[in-house]
Amino acid sequence: MVVNPQQEELRKRVLTRSGRVDAGAPIRQTSLWRDAWYRYRANRAAVIAGGLFLLLVVYVVFGPILSPYDPYAVDFSQAYQPISWSHPLGTDQYGRDLFTRAALGGRISIGIGFAATIAIMGIGIVYGSISGFVGGRLDNGMMRFLDALYGLPYLPFAIIVTQLFQTVNFYVMVIALTIASWFTAARVVRGQIISLKENDYVRAARAVGARWYRILGRHLLPNTLGVLIVFVFLELPGVILGEAFLSFIGLGINPPKASWGSLAQDGRDVYLAHPTMILIPSVAIAWLILCAFFIADGLRDALDPRTRET
Amino acid sequence: MTTFVIRRLLWTIPVLLLVILFTFVMMRQIKGNPFRKTDRAVPAAVQANLDRKFHLDEPWYVQYADYVKGIFSLDLGPSLVLRNQSVNDIVKSHFPVSLELGAYAFLFAIVAGVPLGMLAALRPNKLTDYLAMLVANVGFAVPSFLVATLLIYYFAVKWNVGLPTSGWRSWDSKILPSIALGFFPMAYFARLVRGTMLETLQQDYVRTAKAKGLRRRRVVGLHVLRNSLIPVVTAAGPLLGAVITGSFIVETIFAIPGIGRYYVSSVSSRDYSVTMGLTILYAVIVIVGNLVVDVLYGFLDPRTREART
Amino acid sequence: MRLRTAIAPGLLVAAAALVAAGCGGGTGGSNGSGSGGALAANQTLTMAWGAEPPSLDPGLATDTTSSNVLLNIMDPLVKLDPKTLKPVPSLAQSWDVNGATVTFHLRHDGRWTNGDPVTANDFVYSWLRTLSPELGADYAYQFYAITGAQAYNSCDPKKADCNALKNKVGISAPDMYTLKVELTSPQPWFVQQVAHTSFLAVNRNAVERWGEKWTEPGHIVTNGPFKLAVWRHDAEIDLVKWNGWRDAKDVTLKRVNGRIITDGTTAVQSFAAGEIDVNTTGIPPADLPRLKTEDTYQNYPALGTYFYGLNVKNIPLEERKAMALAIDRKSIIDNIAQADQVPATSFSAQGIPGFGEIKNDYLQPTADMGKATALLAKTPNAKKHVNLFVNDAPGHKEIAIAVQAAWKKLGIDVTIKQMEFAQFLEFLGPPPNKAVDAYRLGWIGDYVDDINFLETWTCHSGNNNSNYCNPKYDALIEKARSTKDNAERFKVYAQAEDILTGPNGDFPVIPIYWYTYVTQEAPSVKDSFNINLLNQFDLSAVKVVDK
Repeated sequence: MVVNPQQEELRKRVLTRSGRVDAGAPIRQTSLWRDAWYRYRANRAAVIAGGLFLLLVVYVVFGPILSPYDPYAVDFSQAYQPISWSHPLGTDQYGRDLFTRAALGGRISIGIGFAATIAIMGIGIVYGSISGFVGGRLDNGMMRFLDALYGLPYLPFAIIVTQLFQTVNFYVMVIALTIASWFTAARVVRGQIISLKENDYVRAARAVGARWYRILGRHLLPNTLGVLIVFVFLELPGVILGEAFLSFIGLGINPPKASWGSLAQDGRDVYLAHPTMILIPSVAIAWLILCAFFIADGLRDALDPRTRET
Repeated sequence: MTTFVIRRLLWTIPVLLLVILFTFVMMRQIKGNPFRKTDRAVPAAVQANLDRKFHLDEPWYVQYADYVKGIFSLDLGPSLVLRNQSVNDIVKSHFPVSLELGAYAFLFAIVAGVPLGMLAALRPNKLTDYLAMLVANVGFAVPSFLVATLLIYYFAVKWNVGLPTSGWRSWDSKILPSIALGFFPMAYFARLVRGTMLETLQQDYVRTAKAKGLRRRRVVGLHVLRNSLIPVVTAAGPLLGAVITGSFIVETIFAIPGIGRYYVSSVSSRDYSVTMGLTILYAVIVIVGNLVVDVLYGFLDPRTREART
Repeated sequence: MRLRTAIAPGLLVAAAALVAAGCGGGTGGSNGSGSGGALAANQTLTMAWGAEPPSLDPGLATDTTSSNVLLNIMDPLVKLDPKTLKPVPSLAQSWDVNGATVTFHLRHDGRWTNGDPVTANDFVYSWLRTLSPELGADYAYQFYAITGAQAYNSCDPKKADCNALKNKVGISAPDMYTLKVELTSPQPWFVQQVAHTSFLAVNRNAVERWGEKWTEPGHIVTNGPFKLAVWRHDAEIDLVKWNGWRDAKDVTLKRVNGRIITDGTTAVQSFAAGEIDVNTTGIPPADLPRLKTEDTYQNYPALGTYFYGLNVKNIPLEERKAMALAIDRKSIIDNIAQADQVPATSFSAQGIPGFGEIKNDYLQPTADMGKATALLAKTPNAKKHVNLFVNDAPGHKEIAIAVQAAWKKLGIDVTIKQMEFAQFLEFLGPPPNKAVDAYRLGWIGDYVDDINFLETWTCHSGNNNSNYCNPKYDALIEKARSTKDNAERFKVYAQAEDILTGPNGDFPVIPIYWYTYVTQEAPSVKDSFNINLLNQFDLSAVKVVDK
């Protein structure tokens, strides 16, 4: 029997919803997002990753709130307690509960990660849309400028930016990491805008006399949203690693304010005697990065069917 | 092709000027006295002598002009902290080390990562695939400071295999740091190769080759591998740049006299000329790396040759 | 010890001015004469240096590593006796002090590695070179005791003819082996000061021939017990015994292989793997509890004070006293610093001559909350909210937290502000930024006399970050400068210290602890390798034994 792929698709859709094929059954309307959601759900790895990611976020958000311990209180009699029910991850050399501190560190690391990524996206969207939409000489110039900025090495650049401020805190890190890495986002957005610009519906909108902000806001940007969401999860690991590295070498968040990078640095000093101190933040970082990538993979497959393998 | 290369090379000049200007402005904004290294204050006369010696008492535009002139005659200026060495000396003694480290790390990444990816792609969704991807994913996610620490602990301290814990002198001291630095790129390549190979294996021309009766090995070797490697090459350029510029963690942990470690300390100690000189060096590396990749890309993928202007 | 900045090790083993390497251990250092053990056949020492030396030019060397290398490859005029820390003859076989004139009589058998004899003219040339405005020597101020030195060093060659001033500097060589120095006033500690690295001589031929590159291993010309064999920048400094030295027969060690390791954990690993015999890079504070119990751990007293400064313009007197009394020094040392430091009850450091008379007992190692609260109760305009500034190297913030807790008990709310080191220093001025109420700093002695410590609190001192100015105090310091007799001078010092930290003291400073130097040493060299109060070690006294 010759299988008509389109019909097969419809059948599958109807099946998933009601569980049986009904001749003449109404075909429910679906949107791009719902479709994407179903495709995402079908990807087992992405679902698991998503779950683990959420688990991590819940831990860092609620962990310190629910914990009975003060993450800054120094109590030497409790130093280096082993893993137990009262201290799920043990304590550090000052007697502070590691479970709480790791969660606190996570807040800062993940917070910086998301904040920087969103900032990157924001700048990228503005720059990329202007460049892509206006096109012509402005586009050329803006892209050349971007090429120039690409020559600035990422981490050294971020280091210099952090030194401009008197102390390195959350906001400084976000600013430094954002300034150092918004270029790719701008490029991606521009690329999307340019390819979408030529579409018929855009031409139609123009013909009807729609203003640029309407075209941009109503037609172009929402269609780039998919790509941007995938991009967020692709960019997140880079930013988090960047923050971890900077804190590790001492140019980032400083102890006792914890971020996973600075916890790892503290841990390295004593790893010969207490290996958990460096393992815990490293595992946390690895967990986050792995989840982010699987989610990104899943999202990409879900949102952009063209990349799927037939 | 040549016009393309020349054009790109010409573009490097304004880029470099921008980099220089940017770093210059930034370094001047960062407060801190490069001549004060300890809690002890610098007496006024001494400070005046030092400012005079390094031309820090001149207006900023004069300093900037001098500096740019220096760059174009390839003189990066004296170090403010290492008093008997110029930035050129520092680059000459440290850069080859970082380059060597980066090259070995990259070599490890390719030698270990590409076969791993291929293995996974040839038996998709089987045990080998899962195992290979497990290794790759772990390598991808685990931060390099943990990898380095674990490597030192197990191979140099605990199991006493005879590998040194630090330094960069004999051939055996180069093994662990190269692996530590190359772990992430290896994982990256493994995943990338797997992805591109899987995609290529699905292509029509591969099916045609198989249908023609060509043996699997020939198919894989000739067509698939070559086309799968294109994205790898594209990624290699920026990746190499990232490896070289991000090597400071491995260099610090292994006490390797490279450029990365020195860069970090020059920023903290406000050694302006070294920081600027090294930033420019990094920028050049990144630009050259990108250029090489683009040229290679042109060779490997004939479809893009026409598009090159 | 962390890699964050080379400043962190600098705090413990700061860029102290160094006096010539004492022949052996410092006072109070734990090693007596070596217990048995036959000399090993291979007299090679492998050690870790803590940093890349910024320069091996005596005029430009400022940090510990440069000083230690220089003091072993060069021949100073005088060295410091390991126990009494008094100057003993080295290249100068004797000296005369006549009021403000000091005359050194040099030995005739000093030689440079290129064959030239070491003469007094070498010293005249070298000292004038260090003072020259063109060189930009950091430690030029060490020479200001000499007449005309400060004027010459402050001269701007673009605006005036500095040569005229150069000729007026009070250094001369009446004959080949006599060096005559005219001081601005009789300063009894000057001879001892001459043991510092900046007073070493350089070989004129080498400097003029090679210019900035004269310190490279192929070019450098030295005159001490060891020669510079290898200097791979940022990686390795190796020394080898020079058989042409005047007392080469007394030197047992043949070779020193030195690896430059700046990161504490890396050095500890290297030591644990048996790759190095001595770790002078240090131990990260967090790892100290584990390593302190081992035989290889070694601890030496240092001439330096870790202190908290108080901005006298922002905090009233009685409150300052209360804050000083409220700190539990012993607990800070035992729980946070953990390197067997000594609780500091005075700003003058333990180990200076006359310490017994100088110190007072107002401050104690533990806190006296009773007295403190009583004092605070009497202060109507006490500042209830205090900003405490520290820099971001390891250990400081933890100590700040402990101090914060202590002051909280007095009812004072402390906000801890942590800054990156270079910016922190800018913030402190002097004069310090208005926001600074309290700050942490350390003072490491350049030479072994209390004037070095006490003069930091004079009105115009560039190291006075507390806005403190007391004319009576300045007068005492001036008086000390011209008091030749040691016993008399110690009495003046005691009065000055009293003004700082005594029962009626002004407390611009709260001493916390006196530093120590921490190393790991293998059994084969543990007895003969010693570090003195000024963080110097003399390699010519090291013997490798079979263990």
